[in-house]
This record gives sequence, structure tokens and C-alpha cells, in this order.
Amino acid sequence: MCCSHELTGKEFQPVSASPAYMERIKGMRFFDPHIHMTSRTTDDYQAMADAGITAIIEPAFWLGQPRTGIDTFRDYFNSLIGWERFRSSQFGIKHYCTIGLNSKEANNEKLAEAVMEILPLFIYKEGVVGVGEIGFDDQTAAEEKYYRAQLELAKEAGLPVQIHTPHRDKKKGTQRSMDIALEHGLDPKMIIVDHNNEETVQEVLDRGFWAAFTIYPFTKMGNERMVEIVKQYGSERIMVNSAADWGISDPLAVPKTAALMHESGIDLNDIHLVTFRNAISAFAQSGQIDEADFESVKDIDQRLKFNGSTVLRGGQQPRIDKQSNIIR
Amino acid sequence: MENVYHYDRYKVCDTLYKVIEQNVTEQVLSWLQQQKARLEEAGSILQFNLTFTAISRQTGKQVISLSPEDAALLAANNIFIQGYTLDRLARVWWLLQFPADDREVYIKTIEGLFDAADMNELAALYGALPLLAWPGAWTARTAEGIRSNIGTVQDAIMLENAYPAEYLQEAAWNQLVMKAIFTEKPIHRIIGLDRRANPQLAAVLSDYAHERWAAGRTVNPQLWRLIGPFIDQTYFADIERVWNSENNIEHEAAALACFASSYAPARELLKKHPGMQDEIARQTITWDTVAARIA
Repeated sequence: MCCSHELTGKEFQPVSASPAYMERIKGMRFFDPHIHMTSRTTDDYQAMADAGITAIIEPAFWLGQPRTGIDTFRDYFNSLIGWERFRSSQFGIKHYCTIGLNSKEANNEKLAEAVMEILPLFIYKEGVVGVGEIGFDDQTAAEEKYYRAQLELAKEAGLPVQIHTPHRDKKKGTQRSMDIALEHGLDPKMIIVDHNNEETVQEVLDRGFWAAFTIYPFTKMGNERMVEIVKQYGSERIMVNSAADWGISDPLAVPKTAALMHESGIDLNDIHLVTFRNAISAFAQSGQIDEADFESVKDIDQRLKFNGSTVLRGGQQPRIDKQSNIIR
Repeated sequence: MENVYHYDRYKVCDTLYKVIEQNVTEQVLSWLQQQKARLEEAGSILQFNLTFTAISRQTGKQVISLSPEDAALLAANNIFIQGYTLDRLARVWWLLQFPADDREVYIKTIEGLFDAADMNELAALYGALPLLAWPGAWTARTAEGIRSNIGTVQDAIMLENAYPAEYLQEAAWNQLVMKAIFTEKPIHRIIGLDRRANPQLAAVLSDYAHERWAAGRTVNPQLWRLIGPFIDQTYFADIERVWNSENNIEHEAAALACFASSYAPARELLKKHPGMQDEIARQTITWDTVAARIA
């Protein structure tokens, strides 16, 4: 806790020198449509705000360890529409989420049934912009069963679907995910197929789905490869995200990719589409995104937390000097 | 036998509806009426829940306008909705539509809303505590809400909310006040602040002030409001310290604390500054003026 009466403007300035790529993206705004802030620190939030990230989507996912009871699912969903949303607002970042049963935990059928029962309590909430992330991991029968059930739920609620595609046997898993979605009568325009790579992108785009790319070191896409993808496929229905989570990942993947695209001579409008606008177009089909909130999240929060204190501006949290060994 | 509602439910409900009427379109109003009719016919908890959630999509989140007459009527029933957004007001009204006769069903349903509520819904629910039926049933829920780290939720419980002072046990009440000070709330907006002041709270706050001083941090001058009535030899040194502060707001706070005290040395201290004593007596210096100068 800080005491706002004692703070001067100094505490709110970024303290470290900006890396060179920040110059390239100065003044740009970004939307990261897939990031697991539950697993991240306040340092990340501050860095994200500094880099121009304005709004994010946090999909419900696997927390790194299987849950054993329905209450931990309920609490997790609650945190996505409550605590994490508030935490994000403290940094002036508008937080949305998608709610769903992830593929890994769909394999615990008893628990999966219970999760399906409580999903309707959450998917209609304000700021829930889709059902996600759902789909295949191991491509088991149980995963398919709950994937199908959740597609039906999304259809009924008129919500977009955020599909997680598997790490192993990715190409077939991606095809199968799309086949099943079409089989249930969903419009490809309502579906964001995530974690694409060079091998999957063509078919996803050809079939009319949104193609999301996760810039995630070692296991998913690198941003140099992403530059090549945009050069080859353009910017239509393509979006970039970080999927930053509890693993070695980078919450600044979207702005860094924008900087690299800029450096590589990609058109500013294309950069804008794949790092901001397309994600909004896709998820705003939920009726839950009002871009005016990107600005008001800053003011509203300031009023609520600090009662109009003149020192704090733009929903900012006070900074600590990372270079100093003095902590006050 | 506990009463279902502890206030004039019909009058309050009518007034809330009237305020909604003045703030929304015909379309939104008919949607709300439709939902009400559906609830009265079928009485489904699921529909009650989904409507509670769907309200924000229908009403939007404009801040309401409220006539002084309606504000006064509600205030007479200890209900304060100034600054409410439309979704919040409509949600409060909607809460009053659920049948409250069956205590068990009512409590389970309302608790169910709390259990799956988003940030704004939580604020609406906690702000509506004074309006809920079976008022004795929400003390544990309120104590739980005080533990929240979400600023909007804390505000909904702590500020302009008549429920806590009326129903919380001393320990939970003290936790509320302590947390409000710790999280820098405008504590003059806590209802029942002076009435529920108690020696235990004064002791905790005095310790807290000493901790702040030891850390080289400032102390919210309003804190002395809660120590004033209990000034004795233990607290008097603190009051003298604040009295001698170069900060004029702190000086005023010490004077106000002394004014509330019957401890002779405190009364003597106050006499050293007769001008200020006079201003306090004439109410040109009050805790509200102190609060206004801090903000």
C-alpha cells in the first residue's frame, strides 16, 4: 500500500532507460488478445502499459497443475471477472476474458461435468468476450465431448470461440477443431483459431477463420517468423498475441513484434491490424467491447482508488526504482 | 421473529423505480418490467441470476441524475445512491424483486449472486446490503467483503452504507474502519463512524499511528477523530504531538479530538488556542472540513 498524500510526480515516471525498440512503437496502441495475467507480476503490468498495451484478453486455462474440485474452478473464473480485472485497471489496462473448460482438464470427466454446469453463470458476464480457450490437447474422446458441448454453449450465447490448438500433432488437431466447429453450425467468423504456425495458417485463412499467432519463445512462434508470415499472408484476419503465462514467455511479445515489423518495412496499417484492430473486430462480436473503456479505465480507476488525488494520473501505480537497493 | 425487511420496502422500491424511470429509455424500462413479470410468473432462480447479470447490457453505465426530493426520501430510509451508475441502480432495484418470504431460499439465492459476481456486480450487491431482506443474515458476508482487495468493493461496503454500523459486531466493525484508514478511504463518509467509536479501536489506531511514525510516514489526521472520545494519559502524548505539528490540518485534528474529550488535560490544551476552540464550537472547523482539506 502506498500513501498518496506523500507522493510527488517523480514516482510515476519510468525509471529505466527505454530499449531501442520502444522508439519504433512510440505512440502505438496494442491489444493482446491472449495473455494469462494471473501468472504474471505487477512489473509486467507496468511494462505492458509503458509499451502501449491498452487492452488484453485473459482466456481461462490450465493453471499448470490439475484442479481437483469445482470450487477452485469457480474461484478461478471469479478471479478473471473480479480481482484480475481490478488489478489490471490499476495500471490503466482494460481487461477482458474468455471463459471455458480447457482441453487438458476436460479429461477429468467427473470434474468436467461440474464445470459445464457452472459455465452459464460466467459466460454472460460483462467483459466476457468469448468461450475459451477450448479445443484439443491430447485429442482424446473426452476432450472432443467437452469441446463440442462448449461450442454449443457459445452458439447459444452468441459468443466468439477462442480455440487452443495442440502442441503435438498440431496440423491434424487444427483441422479437426475446424471441422467440428463447422459441423456444429458455427460461423468461422466467430472463431479465433490460436497458436498457428507456418504449417496451419493457409488452411485456417482459406476456410474463413481468424488466425491468431502466439509469439512465445522456444515452443511457439518467434517474431522474425511472424514478420515473414505477415509479408506472405498480409494482415486480413491475422492477429498476434503473447499467451504469456507461468512459463518462459514474454508479456511484451505484441509490441516487440510490432517494432520488428516496423523495422522490416511492413506497412503501419498492417501492423495496426495484426496487433490491435483485428483482435477487437473478432472479439467485439461478443458485444462486450466498448473502445471508450480503453480510455475511461484510466480515469475511473483513479477516481475510485485515490478519490481524485491530484498526484496520481492515468490510473498509474507508483513506481519503485529497480536500480536502487533502497526500498522505502 | 425477525422481520423480513427492516424499512419501508414498498416506498423505497417505488422511489428507486421512479429514479430509474427518470434515467432510462422506454425500451429499457419495458425490458425491466418484462423481466419482473417473468420472475413473478415462473419464479426461476436462473432467470433471476441471468437478469441480474444482463442488466448492465440493457441499461449502460451512465451516472444517474437524482432529484433532491428522491435523495431525501431515500436518505430518510438510510439509503444513499448519489453517484450510482444506471446498471448499479437497476441491479439494486432488481434485488428487491426476489420473493423474500422463504428465508432459506432467499438467502441461498442472494449468496449465490455473491459467489459468481463480477467486479461491478459485487459493488452493487455490497452497496445493497441495507436493502436486503433478513438483515441479520449478512454479517459474515459483510465481514468477508471487508477483506476484499478490490477498491470498488471496499468502497461499496465502507462508504455511505448504513448496514455495517447497524449490524456488525465490534471486531468486524473495527476491521472495517482500520482497513478504510489503511486503504486511504475518505472515512468521514463511513456511516456511524462516531457512534461506533470504541476503546478497542482507539487502541489499535494509536498503535497504527506509532508504526507509521516509526517508519517515517505520515498519519491521516482523521484518525484522531476515533481516539478523541477516549483520550487519557496513554493517548495524550500523541495528541500533544499532533497538536504541535507544523501542519495546520494536524493541529486542527488535535483540537477536534480534544473537543470530543472530557479528559482535563485535553480540555486545558484546547484552551491554549481559544480561537480554534471557538471555531469548533461554531462548527466552522469540523471533521468534514478537515476531510475536505485533505482531499
